[in-house]
Amino acid sequence: MAELLLDPKIRLWVFLPIVVITFLVGIVRHYVSIILSSQKKIELLQVQDSQVMIRARLLRENGKYLPRQSFAMRRHWFNNEDTGYFKVQKRTSNAQNPMTDPGMMTDMLKGNVTNVLPMIVIGGWINWMFSGFLTTKVPFPLTLRFKPMLQRGVELAYLDASWVSSASWYFLNVFGLRTIYALVLGENNAADQSKMMQEQMSGAAMAMPPDPKAAFKAQWEALEITEHRWALANVENDLLIKND
Amino acid sequence: MSFPKVLLTVGFISLFHSAFSAAQHRSYLRITSQEFTTLPLDIVIQAVGSLFAVMWGVMCIAGNLREIQAAAELNNIAWETQMNVPSFYMFNHRLRAMESSYIPTSGKGDLENLE
Amino acid sequence: MSVPLKKENVPEPIAYSEAALRNNANVLEYCRTSMSALSGSTAGVLGLTALNGFAFYMFSVVILWVMFMIKAGPNWQKYYVSRQSLLTHGFLGGLCTYVLFWTFIYGMVHVY
Repeated sequence: MAELLLDPKIRLWVFLPIVVITFLVGIVRHYVSIILSSQKKIELLQVQDSQVMIRARLLRENGKYLPRQSFAMRRHWFNNEDTGYFKVQKRTSNAQNPMTDPGMMTDMLKGNVTNVLPMIVIGGWINWMFSGFLTTKVPFPLTLRFKPMLQRGVELAYLDASWVSSASWYFLNVFGLRTIYALVLGENNAADQSKMMQEQMSGAAMAMPPDPKAAFKAQWEALEITEHRWALANVENDLLIKND
Repeated sequence: MSFPKVLLTVGFISLFHSAFSAAQHRSYLRITSQEFTTLPLDIVIQAVGSLFAVMWGVMCIAGNLREIQAAAELNNIAWETQMNVPSFYMFNHRLRAMESSYIPTSGKGDLENLE
Repeated sequence: MSVPLKKENVPEPIAYSEAALRNNANVLEYCRTSMSALSGSTAGVLGLTALNGFAFYMFSVVILWVMFMIKAGPNWQKYYVSRQSLLTHGFLGGLCTYVLFWTFIYGMVHVY
């Protein structure tokens, strides 16, 4: 197949601008999302709830290292029928629909505005502005299967599969520049969206149980059926044997 | 400027220069309608050499490695710092009754009226 | 008073500092990304095609590894748990960056 010769002006006015635009849009998106991001308000009651849950779990797991009386005392504090924390505290079950919560709604909207919208808008603009150019050639041979992926907007049946059209070059950039954002903007930046999800998942102590009532009931049940078996009953003997 | 930064800058400039040289070479070949086989050796050496230089510079800039053994860092912490456990602070010690400025509360009822 | 919890022949488990591990992983990640981008650019300048380019990636990964070994010095165990993971960590993610830069610079220098 004869080698295609591209006009060098395509390099200056199509190929390079797409890279620069993609990169700069990523940077701008990072800063815009910083501006738009709202600090999540943490309610005191919710923090209290989650800390109580953690304490109950710790008591269940490590209660065997406490003397029986101490364990019973702590369990009493949680579970007593009249004064126990899980019994006294009446939490309303607010398993809320995220659609009805206005704060949640704006957050989702902001996420869409900073993530999805630029992608569509810039993608559409580049498609319209730079449509129909062959921009570059990947330096390795590809099979025909890659043709629709790499030659979007240029439907030529006899073109070699390793040529890349302008629209596809944009998408290659969008996906390939992610690691560069991590390099330029530092870790956990907004341009890299997959990291955000992880961040939301972690932070266990801050994470509120969505429905405190049900969670309290579950913890109460778990504590009720916990059997106290003191692990340190023979600790003196163990120690003496080991020190022999 | 420190040495790694100089290395980084020089390496980048050299890499760009070799890129321009390669582009020039390519266009020269195209004008004289010769077939492209390989680049001249000096461009190759310049590109690879500057790659090494930049990589070394980046690695010096990237930051220091820290020792991963937990004990290694704890060894440098003074005993006073290490024993400072805020969770066990006590603000209601009974010894404060020995203080000369201490005014005893009359009963438990006062405590409840405090707030 | 210290109580020997383990028998003599059992090696003592080593406690690693989480923050230091993460710091070192970040340093490695930084170098790996830069190395991928730079070696991709170099491969583009050199006009490598097909398998040569991927071989060049392997080559640069190994070079980075050797550089890390030089940087860490003879007692690398102070900084990393294993040397193999230093070589393989982030291999495919780096390859993605590498291919992008390779294509980019190759297009800039050799296609037009």
